[in-house]
Amino acid sequence: MPRSGSRHRRASALALGIGLLALAACAAPQTEASQTYDDWDSVLADADGQTVQLWMYGGDDQGNAYVDDVLSPAAAEYGVTVERVPVTDTRDALNRVFTEIQAGRSDGTVDLIWVNGDNFRTGKAADAWLCDWTGLLPSMAGTDPDDPLLQSDFGTPVDGCEAPWHKAQFTLAYNAEAIPDPPTTLAGVLDWAEAHPGRFTYPAPPDFTGSVFVREVLASVSGGSDKVPATFSEDAYDELSPALYERLSALAPSLWRGGDTYPANEAELGQLFADRQIDITMTYGPATLTDLVADGTYPPETKVLTLEEGTVGNASFLGLPANSDSIAGAMVVANVALSVEQQVAKAQPDVWGQFTVLDIDGLGDADRALFDALPTSPVVPGYDVLSRNAHGELAAEWVPALDDGWRSGVLQE
Amino acid sequence: MTSSALTAPRGAGRLIRLAATIALVVWFAVPFLPLALWSFADAWSFPSPLPTSWGLRGVEDAVGFGALPSFARSVLLGLIVAAVATPLGALAARALTFGAVPFPRTVSAMLLAPIALPPFAAVLGVNVLLLRVHVPSAAGVVIVLVVLALPYTAFVMRAAYGAYDLSYEEEARLLGAGRLQVLRRIQLPMIAPALARAAFFAFLIAWSDYIVTLIVGGGEIVTLPLVVASAAAGLGNDAAVAVMSLTAVLPPIALLLAVLRLRGPRRGAVRPAPTRGIPDPVASLGAGAARER
Repeated sequence: MPRSGSRHRRASALALGIGLLALAACAAPQTEASQTYDDWDSVLADADGQTVQLWMYGGDDQGNAYVDDVLSPAAAEYGVTVERVPVTDTRDALNRVFTEIQAGRSDGTVDLIWVNGDNFRTGKAADAWLCDWTGLLPSMAGTDPDDPLLQSDFGTPVDGCEAPWHKAQFTLAYNAEAIPDPPTTLAGVLDWAEAHPGRFTYPAPPDFTGSVFVREVLASVSGGSDKVPATFSEDAYDELSPALYERLSALAPSLWRGGDTYPANEAELGQLFADRQIDITMTYGPATLTDLVADGTYPPETKVLTLEEGTVGNASFLGLPANSDSIAGAMVVANVALSVEQQVAKAQPDVWGQFTVLDIDGLGDADRALFDALPTSPVVPGYDVLSRNAHGELAAEWVPALDDGWRSGVLQE
Repeated sequence: MTSSALTAPRGAGRLIRLAATIALVVWFAVPFLPLALWSFADAWSFPSPLPTSWGLRGVEDAVGFGALPSFARSVLLGLIVAAVATPLGALAARALTFGAVPFPRTVSAMLLAPIALPPFAAVLGVNVLLLRVHVPSAAGVVIVLVVLALPYTAFVMRAAYGAYDLSYEEEARLLGAGRLQVLRRIQLPMIAPALARAAFFAFLIAWSDYIVTLIVGGGEIVTLPLVVASAAAGLGNDAAVAVMSLTAVLPPIALLLAVLRLRGPRRGAVRPAPTRGIPDPVASLGAGAARER
């Protein structure tokens, strides 16, 4: 094949050049205005036959099973097909959306994202979300319009840019076999840790869970969550944080391995708890506790530690990227997911055990009865007990400031 | 004394070789041991050296994570990428080896460039381009993976063509064989083992890829690595992850064995006796003339 190939090669080089020109020609972004809707009937009509890609963290097998076996069939009744895309990190989904928007594509492949907190804020800052659409959803009538958890997401106003999905509550759990007489306040937990060296630790910030724990200690040493202003300011930080780091530094020698090292994340902390190396663990997803005890990962005597002053709570949402090619279908899925039937099904401890975002007291008798009839988990008490005296998250700016301060003030002591 | 001196080193050599073989097998097998144990462990807590309860929960969970359809998609993707990247690599290698390309060194370096590029950076940039020209996600994944596999297939095939004697083709042409006949009866049998090796590498590239499939695929092609990674990010999924990781090792091993088999018996059967008599310049002239027809 020597020599003779060169003629063909010149021809193909030409073809390539033409291709590149064509490419440059359509390189300019060509975003079209997204489809918007004014009434629910036209949403339903357009949704019929659409396929919705729901991108969500895929490491929770109960969550995967709920979407595949419960949510998807319910959406199929409206002619909407749900495809679950498992990701290790919600940021992967956002990256895909940003890339599509950068390329000027208005027919995006990401139709819904299970999102909250920082990822929601990032997407909102980049105008990546479709906004003002949740008011169209008939199921929104079941939520409490004054519920602070649904109005703002870690300090970022929701503004109808995401539909509520479920609530979570920061929760401490302990092994009742090892702690027959548990503390009842966070200050008590820290005292208990000092009285039982090596049996307590927390993930190192900036890990999500470790970071939440540090904010809870901040509330505790400041004399209550209402003493910490939700909006961040240098003054508030300088005034409140010294007591926090003093307390955590004093605690450090009593921690697991003398505080020389900390678990990197909730999974590592949970493994220490599962291995009986520590007696208290913590999570923002208490729903998983039931399953972890049932399958023998966690000690059988695992109990939730309810604190007198309450813990922090949040809600997670379904975000709809502005460039989705199945906006109507995504709205229908978000509406189905928010219906009483789905919220009850999802709250079943053996399905997923996630707390509803609906306002149970505002529901009709028949619907309320469905929630009342939910079986109680032997491990996790009901949301009303868990969320007693609950407080909201601090604004997102608090998080990096506290995490940095922890690294220099506690870790390097 | 002399006889024992003759046999002793041989015995020792055999022993050393045996020991080395066993050590190598252990070296490769040991990492799989915890995986195999975890696959059938329903519970395994520190500090117990062995699982504390055995069962098939890992398998059930793996199925729940969607291991089966994603496994099938991964196999299909690997086969398609191998089917495209292998002939392309062979063509490139043949052109480079037999001087059909100007500046062969530069072209070779460009072919190898994708190995040096961090895939994440490359993929993010390329993806914007693919999206702009409306390449369907699935086609985009295949295209990018083929580009990533090409250095390997081209490299393997270059080695094969480097040892390939064109004079067999010339001789066949002189004896009246058509081009297809030469391809089918001379070239393909002679490079078949290399083709199999190249295809194996291309398959591996697609089989183990995470970032291209995720970002360029846009979630439309959920392959085994995507499912394994998302399962590994959660607490309490060790058994399912172990099952999926073990399963993920099987197709490459099966392919490797097939490649090795293909290489063995064929080699002696196909290779004709060396005929060094034909002067090369004449032969290549003849071939050139024949081709221009």
